[in-house]
Amino acid sequence: MMRSLLAACLLVPLPAWANGLLVSDPMVPMAPPGVMAHAAFLTLENTGMDPVSVVGVSSEGYRMAHIHRTVEVGGVATMTSIDVLEIAPGQTVTFAHGGLHVMLMHPKGPVGMDDSVPITFNLSDGTTLSFEAPVKHMAHGS
Amino acid sequence: MKQLLTALFLALSTPLHAQVQGVMLDAPEVLPGFTFENELGESFTKDTLTGQWTIIMFGYLTCPDVCPFTLGNLEAAVSETGMRVRPDNVPKVVFISVDPARDAEWVSEYAKFFHPEFQSFTGTQDDINRLVEATDSFYRLTAPDAEGYYEVQHSSAVSVIAPDGTLRAKLQPPFDPGATAEFLARLQITYRRENS
Repeated sequence: MMRSLLAACLLVPLPAWANGLLVSDPMVPMAPPGVMAHAAFLTLENTGMDPVSVVGVSSEGYRMAHIHRTVEVGGVATMTSIDVLEIAPGQTVTFAHGGLHVMLMHPKGPVGMDDSVPITFNLSDGTTLSFEAPVKHMAHGS
Repeated sequence: MKQLLTALFLALSTPLHAQVQGVMLDAPEVLPGFTFENELGESFTKDTLTGQWTIIMFGYLTCPDVCPFTLGNLEAAVSETGMRVRPDNVPKVVFISVDPARDAEWVSEYAKFFHPEFQSFTGTQDDINRLVEATDSFYRLTAPDAEGYYEVQHSSAVSVIAPDGTLRAKLQPPFDPGATAEFLARLQITYRRENS
């Protein structure tokens, strides 16, 4: 029993955590072959007592990464780059369609289903928060 | 005035999931001529529109969020529409890249990733501008940064073209599949009434 429980625990990816900042449900929607930009979606929760700022993002598999926000004004969609994302104690920030996403530019190789994309957030105190975002089909429907 | 108030009341009292997903045009809009192509040698012209329902979306391949989400939802919406209309009335979805410089080489791959029958094309700036304008759409390429990277702003709504080749409606996000399918089915009934 204990052994199977332990085995089950090992199969579940461990949540990424640094400075009280917790990453959950990271994913990269499977994109058409050859496209030069992917998005990563996730939830960031500040479980600590102090505000935490994300000041940068990078991914080994991509030449460039930015935090972007999709903004729709008057029916026109546009993206703005976010340089500093401050998360207050107890605050949860969701990266989801139509809002924030990690923009991953120029993949160095093909990115396929069930691959894992390593992503690192740089925090304002100089520490980093690294996690893996699995590539999945994004569900659409009513 | 009373009618307007009633309409407003109905719109406000309708639950969120059943909100209008599109706008039917008061009068059909005749489209100008255009030619778009992809690297497979397939073409999409004004003549392609005749005899089929078409949904045209403008976007670009480096679009990480809005374009894939829209095409994914259109795939679900078109599948839903297939349950409400005759097979030959299921709309064909066409994606037009407004960024030919970066996308022309492989544009055909994009839309078919979301559905094997979705097609994608691009063309000259003149053709893009003409169709964008005629469908009351919008796009803008931002000024390139030091590395030559630029972003693209574009309309999030898509255009619905009737089998007579005229623009009949605009569909708006979030493209809820059920509500969008319902809207398209109603649009087709209106169209048949007008043309019978």
